Amino acid sequence: MKAEKAQLVIQGLKEAGVDFAAGVPDAQFIEVYKMLAEDRDIHYVGAANEAEATGIGFGAWFGGKKPALILATSGLLVATYHLARINLLHEVPVLVVIPYRGDIGDPRWMGLYKKTTEPGLNAMDIPYRIVSRSEDIVRTIKDCNKSARAWLKPVAVLLNEEALW
Amino acid sequence: MVTRFTLLKELSAIVPDDVLVLTSIGNNSGFWGQLKDREANLFHLTMGMCSSTALGLSLALPNRKIVALDSDGNLTLNLGVLGTIANEAPKNLTIVLMDNQNYLGSNKHAPGMPTATAGKMNLEAVAKGCGIDSACTIEDAAAFRTRILAALSSNGPHFIRARVEPLDTDWPKKSKRVPDPRENKYQFAGYIQKTEGVEILGSGLGGG
Repeated sequence: MKAEKAQLVIQGLKEAGVDFAAGVPDAQFIEVYKMLAEDRDIHYVGAANEAEATGIGFGAWFGGKKPALILATSGLLVATYHLARINLLHEVPVLVVIPYRGDIGDPRWMGLYKKTTEPGLNAMDIPYRIVSRSEDIVRTIKDCNKSARAWLKPVAVLLNEEALW
Repeated sequence: MVTRFTLLKELSAIVPDDVLVLTSIGNNSGFWGQLKDREANLFHLTMGMCSSTALGLSLALPNRKIVALDSDGNLTLNLGVLGTIANEAPKNLTIVLMDNQNYLGSNKHAPGMPTATAGKMNLEAVAKGCGIDSACTIEDAAAFRTRILAALSSNGPHFIRARVEPLDTDWPKKSKRVPDPRENKYQFAGYIQKTEGVEILGSGLGGG
């Protein structure tokens, strides 16, 4: 992805008040992860898998942080049990930011994630917005984080390839 | 070998009131809820989620002592967290691992099925190999007490593997209801808000 698009994601997180993030790097979002790791305002924790990242974000919330999880579409599948748990049992807010593979702009072989991402979020009762235009990245991240915190539940932002071109 | 209940009783007698205690699902939550009814407890941390939650909390509140009461089955589901803990190196975190070498040790009548620690896996060695230098194994209450007191008065992260009986043969008297996850969330977050001066729950209108 282009650095200026990654910068929009970081800008959105900062304007949303996110000060803590956890995740596992993926190719689509590697610039975002690198920027987070260098950022002084957001404590980024690189986890070994996305379920672990979910627990880390969940724990940080109890310490007063405003956490975000940066997850690949494949990683969302790994995180599912813990995400479902904190949403449906504990009811704790985390922003989930996902570079959405398998949607508009992606090759056919990425179609796996079209079949798992939105149905998975729906099954976990996690609201989400899909961003297809880069000019909507910052605002949508802010809106989704605000709703997550108001509703005390995870809310996801899916950034498809069209938005990240 | 010692029982889980014996060690938790020991911990309940010495843990300072302001230490935050996080418990894995099963008897770690059930027993601790009976032994130490307090606002500073977070219960019901499911398989693979106890030590990762404790890591996030310890990073968010670096000046607050945090104890995770984890277990062998729970930790091995998400073992990579030990490497993350070593690299993040929170000084305030102590992981107490109740290693009963089996799944469903909370069953009252017979052990469940063996975990990897019933075989060749040594979680103290794993913790050290992940980079947690302060890792040890205890098998009796006196050594447990010594290690806990040392951990709570020194910089971590600490990892205390407690080899306990496979089956919980002694139990606390059940006189209290362990709060459900939502009730526990409000209680625990409210306590941290009050004692740390941070805003967690917010207004419900999107702020905070």
